[in-house]
Amino acid sequence: MTDFSSRLALYWPALLDGALTTLWLCAASMVLGFLIGVAIHLLCNGRSHLGRAFARVYVSFFRGTPVLAQLMLLFYLPSALNIDVSPLVAAGAALALNSAAYQSQILRSGFAGIAKGQLEAASVFSIGKWKTLLHIQIPQVLRLTSPALISELIDVIKVSAVVSVISITDLMRVSQQLVAQTYRPLEVYLVSAVFYLALTSLLVLLGKYLEHRWKEHA
Amino acid sequence: MEELLKLLPAFGEAMLVTLGVSLAGAAIGLVVGFALNALRLAVSAFNLLYQLYIWLIRGTPFLAQLMVIYFGLPVIGLRLSAIEASILSLGLYSAAYFAELFRSAWGSVPTGQVESARVHGLSRGQTFWHIQAPQALAFALPLLGNQVILTIKESAVTSIITVPELTMAAGRIVSTTFSYVLPYALLVLSYWLLTMAVAMTAEYLGRRATRYLRG
Repeated sequence: MTDFSSRLALYWPALLDGALTTLWLCAASMVLGFLIGVAIHLLCNGRSHLGRAFARVYVSFFRGTPVLAQLMLLFYLPSALNIDVSPLVAAGAALALNSAAYQSQILRSGFAGIAKGQLEAASVFSIGKWKTLLHIQIPQVLRLTSPALISELIDVIKVSAVVSVISITDLMRVSQQLVAQTYRPLEVYLVSAVFYLALTSLLVLLGKYLEHRWKEHA
Repeated sequence: MEELLKLLPAFGEAMLVTLGVSLAGAAIGLVVGFALNALRLAVSAFNLLYQLYIWLIRGTPFLAQLMVIYFGLPVIGLRLSAIEASILSLGLYSAAYFAELFRSAWGSVPTGQVESARVHGLSRGQTFWHIQAPQALAFALPLLGNQVILTIKESAVTSIITVPELTMAAGRIVSTTFSYVLPYALLVLSYWLLTMAVAMTAEYLGRRATRYLRG
């Protein structure tokens, strides 16, 4: 058992490093995905037929195909067109575009939750469309949907394990490297699963806290 | 066009592997998930174990679970082939989600019905099978279809441990022909068609199962 704890001391820094990579990659993709998600949502409710059709196909495509396949497409397609894309950019883009499809659906309920009178009041006060979106709608949408957005972030973290196949040193990749060094797959993968569990459980707690706080304010 | 026709047989074969692995996994998941929910209802002491299982499976990525089962289990003497490990992992993974679906479906049946069934002398087993199960399953059907779609999408990850399914097949074609666009475009298209077909089937079955509600 003392053996295991000394090996754990060896795994710990590398896994923590990988976990941080996973975390910031997912957080960045989540933020980018939110912005794209808002755009998709606006297209969905826009006047343009083409825009609405595009939004529908976009959501159906990204929700109907595996992230791994999307990642392959985004990583290898540009290189076929002689555009050099770094693995990190491809991974971030794949996670963001994928999450945007799910987030646009979450945002739909958030936008619907804002009273119409607010928008009418904003237009009476001649606040522009973009200012209304930025200062009136989005802050409330964020609050209304924060529990759903947190659980989407948890999904992004779990799904992000596949970016290890394009050699990004996230938590999964670091675990694979440790297995290659130590030949102890069972314990390394179990410890790395505990890392993922810690990340997602902390986010669950954060989601519960936000929900609780939001209820108090409402 | 000629190039496309050359790819189709390999893709067809791989699609069957994808379907086989994910449907077998989903079938295990359905049975285990149903059993988990039934056990939770029957034995209250089981509840804690149930919650632990849900927390562990839903809190970790499927890829990590697959790695533990495929690379980890041989350490304790259980060696599975890539396909066996994939089906088992998909089964254990989707079981947690199916169990939660069944839990919410059972919650959708009003307690008053259960109480009145018990008052009328139906046993707990009879109440479970004849009162709760038919209504809960009709409620759950569209959600179950959704979960099957998620399982199909998750099965792409099994290509990492060399299961010859769609994603693996596309990668293999790319590495031998060095043409990227067509194989990967065909890959996402195959999944898209597959998941839309499942979604439509689930919707049709769901409408049929809830026909009695609309009179």
